[in-house]
Amino acid sequence: MTLHDVVLQQIINGLSLGAMYSLLALGFTMVYGIIELINFAHFNIFMVGSFIAMFALQFLGLHGQSRLLTGWPLVGALSLGFASTMLASGLLGVAIERIALRPMRNVRGTAAMITTIGVSYILFNIILLTMGAGAQNYPNPLPQVSWHIGGAVLRLREVLLWSVSLILMGVLHIFVQRTKMGKAMRATAQDQEAARMMGIEVDQIVMLTFFIGSALAGAAGLIFGLYYNNTSFLIGYTAGLRAFTAAVLGGIGNIVGAMMGGLIIGLIEALGGQVLQVRWTDVIIFSILIGVLALRPTGLLGLSTPKKS
Amino acid sequence: MADASRVPAADLEAAPPARRAPLTAALLAPVRRIPATARRPVGLGFLIAGTLLFPFIVRNAGDIDAAANALAFAMLALGLNIVVGFAGLLDLGYAAFFAIGAYIYGMVASTQITPPWTDVWQPLQWLGLASRAHVEGGLDVVHLHVSFWLMLPGAALVAAGFGILFGAPTLRLRGDYLAIVTLGFGEIIPIVVRNTPDWTNGPMGLNGVISPQVFGFRFGVTSTPYYYLAAFLVALLVFVSYRLKDSRIGRAWMAIREDEIAAGAMGVNRTRLKLMAFSIGAAFAGATGTFYVAKLGTATPDMFQFPVSVMVLVMIVLGGMGSVPGVVLGALILQLLQSWFLQDLTQWVHALGRLVGSEGLQQVELVQTIELIFGIILVLMMLYRRDGLIPASRTTASLSLAEQAAMPSRGGIGVSLSGIRAVQLPAGTPMLEVLGLTKRFGGITAVKDLGFTIDPRTVVGLIGPNGSGKTTFFNLVTGLDTPDSGRVFFMGEDITGLPSHTIVERGIARTFQTLRLFANMTVLENVLVGMHARTRANAVGAVLLPRSVRAEEKDAREWAMEVLAIFGNRLLPRVRDIRRAGAAALDLVWCACGRYDSYYERGLKRWDCARAVAARPRLLLLDEPTAGMNPAETMELAEQIRSLNKMGLTVLLIEHKLNVVNTISDKVAVLDYGEKIAEGRVEEVHRNEDVIRAYLGRTAAAGI
Repeated sequence: MTLHDVVLQQIINGLSLGAMYSLLALGFTMVYGIIELINFAHFNIFMVGSFIAMFALQFLGLHGQSRLLTGWPLVGALSLGFASTMLASGLLGVAIERIALRPMRNVRGTAAMITTIGVSYILFNIILLTMGAGAQNYPNPLPQVSWHIGGAVLRLREVLLWSVSLILMGVLHIFVQRTKMGKAMRATAQDQEAARMMGIEVDQIVMLTFFIGSALAGAAGLIFGLYYNNTSFLIGYTAGLRAFTAAVLGGIGNIVGAMMGGLIIGLIEALGGQVLQVRWTDVIIFSILIGVLALRPTGLLGLSTPKKS
Repeated sequence: MADASRVPAADLEAAPPARRAPLTAALLAPVRRIPATARRPVGLGFLIAGTLLFPFIVRNAGDIDAAANALAFAMLALGLNIVVGFAGLLDLGYAAFFAIGAYIYGMVASTQITPPWTDVWQPLQWLGLASRAHVEGGLDVVHLHVSFWLMLPGAALVAAGFGILFGAPTLRLRGDYLAIVTLGFGEIIPIVVRNTPDWTNGPMGLNGVISPQVFGFRFGVTSTPYYYLAAFLVALLVFVSYRLKDSRIGRAWMAIREDEIAAGAMGVNRTRLKLMAFSIGAAFAGATGTFYVAKLGTATPDMFQFPVSVMVLVMIVLGGMGSVPGVVLGALILQLLQSWFLQDLTQWVHALGRLVGSEGLQQVELVQTIELIFGIILVLMMLYRRDGLIPASRTTASLSLAEQAAMPSRGGIGVSLSGIRAVQLPAGTPMLEVLGLTKRFGGITAVKDLGFTIDPRTVVGLIGPNGSGKTTFFNLVTGLDTPDSGRVFFMGEDITGLPSHTIVERGIARTFQTLRLFANMTVLENVLVGMHARTRANAVGAVLLPRSVRAEEKDAREWAMEVLAIFGNRLLPRVRDIRRAGAAALDLVWCACGRYDSYYERGLKRWDCARAVAARPRLLLLDEPTAGMNPAETMELAEQIRSLNKMGLTVLLIEHKLNVVNTISDKVAVLDYGEKIAEGRVEEVHRNEDVIRAYLGRTAAAGI
């Protein structure tokens, strides 16, 4: 492999990671946009989502990488997998909001954030205690199709992950920009009080935001499993921090920013891991996080909404 | 008056026990027999005796070891409590400082780092901190064995340094970003440790760390000496925490926690105080790290991961954020839960499983569920008992009625306040001069090319319809907002763009239209925060309390009471009324020691004024001080403002009640859409056509 090929290969890898981080970052950014809360539970909703998806695929009779599907059966299995995962993760997010976070909505200070840490910890340990600490072999029905571009390899799974992510983000964008509910959401993000006075049910909007954010995290969880062929209780922490960095990088509260930030972080992880050693990847990413916060706290695209001080 | 002051004290004694369960009452019966004044020393005596005798009573090495570990975590919790509980900064990477403290000592008290011997090391050998060791078939190397007692404060200092390093880039940001950044740092430190094996032995960890030594007695691996050392250190840190909490520094931290912007406007240098909290918390963790690694003799990167930070957070949430005894209790409960209770419970469950022949029950390992329990504790405490098991106390000794009633006062204030006097300015220098001040928010120009002067010793009224830019103007003068263009001169000096706390130091204090009082602090503490810019005590002084700091604190309290007496007098009749209404409103009797929620808005307005006057300003900016007051109260406050002016204060006043403005203003300025449309004596302004149009509309103006 020439240097050129290596770079190309890492860009392919980076875009795949980035697609996953973008989906995850969207949840952070949307919740922050609406209620100004860093939702640490999001880390592990993603992780739980990957397990839910695993069960869903296993329910369809797919175990490990033994059984490969092609054509319509593959499309059907994946559609069912994504749909059920996103629904279940979304409901999990709504339940968390309804039970643990709504009573905290008007409490000042760190209480709500601490609650999300607690919820995150509960999810983490439930999976650890029930599923064990080992990595789970993930059902993966994708056929081993790949194309060679120079010395780099582009696999079917990557193309598929990119397409799914693009579709989800496209749908989200249209939803937020073009529909009535999306408009209500944007209004609530800008000024909750004013939105309430205009007859918008703020509680419903917050719930919807949690649903969408968590559903996207669930989708990211499924993508993680398909990409790495395994999952474990640990995946939420690292991926969550990177996705959060992506959200900050893009400008927290900014939906397009989160998508861009995710791609950038994915590329940095892949290329940076190549240039330096992989073990320093986290240090690079946190340095970016701290650098952005210290020098340009509004992120690359800036805040989409004015924030209270 | 002497009689009156005794009445509420008696009531207070009698009131609380009304709703106590019989069991609690029975348990408390022996305590009741001890005189109230002696309860604290007696309790403390029992606590100390119990702590000292514990190893003799328990005698089981494992239990003493668990207790020593629990105390180490209590030290950590006390440190995090300063950051999270006092200053309200959520630090999720606290274990990083613990790791730094542990590795600093570990590296200089083990054979991990063995540079070749040169004479440079000779002084260390003389001091007994290093020695020359022979290596078979090689050059001599240095063996470091720096004293534990030296490294205990040393590691604290190093950790504090890292605290400043980590905190500096991010502390000026919103608090929730800090949580995520500290989480990142907490992650980076173990990675660095793992990936620098030359210094830290990487994932294998440091080994053979030397244990502490006292007068030739080496602690070794027995737990008892560590237990006593930990108990002493906890006592020390409790002492430091209390001293800090009740000081100028502690009050400033709590003010930041309650309302950062208002804290700045009261003269608190936020960045500096946040860094201080962050580094003091880090220092506690650093010292604990040194203790912990000395006790274990080993340190691995895994000992300092995210779960440790969460565990310490759970401890303070359980015990009560900001409550010193609470966090110690929380730490002890959780550690003992982990090392005793869950293990015992597991044994019982296994026994039960054998008894009923259930395979499942025999394999239950409850110790593994500890982190799940942590998560559940966090959520439940936040939902149902946010103040923790022992809430941070918010009230101090009550004011006597005599003190509350010190100043009955229709007709202004009869005395002059010490420290409020006229300032001598060169002739012709205005107190405040504003030139071409402009501020835009997006497309709206809130203040437009505003020019304005205030002469010394005058009262100037600033009026204008809602949204005309009055409060924005206040924010620009006091440094809460920076103007897009224009300059602000105060006593002839340019203060444009200075941070708000510096402006308070220079002599401008303000109140807020929206009442930004520090809700979880007492009235007295609020007023004392107002004095932040006029007092000097630093963290060291707050802990050691030298005579100068004691005197300063005493003066500050006297001054605060003096100021409160002016504005607080109105509370007296209401106190009586409410006491008749029953014990539910008992808080009001505590007056200066009561909390925010026991007051009604009019009281809060006076309280806000008192806080501003406490800063000994030259120029006082009042933002609608009489809002919500009835006519009598309004005139009373107006007279008080006039009195303050007579003492030498210059006052700028935003007010909608024109009778107040008319009565006390020497000059009136009118704003409309951010522009000054009129300025002059009251009568002149009243006849001004622009003013009438702004207030009443065009037709009204035409009808004149």
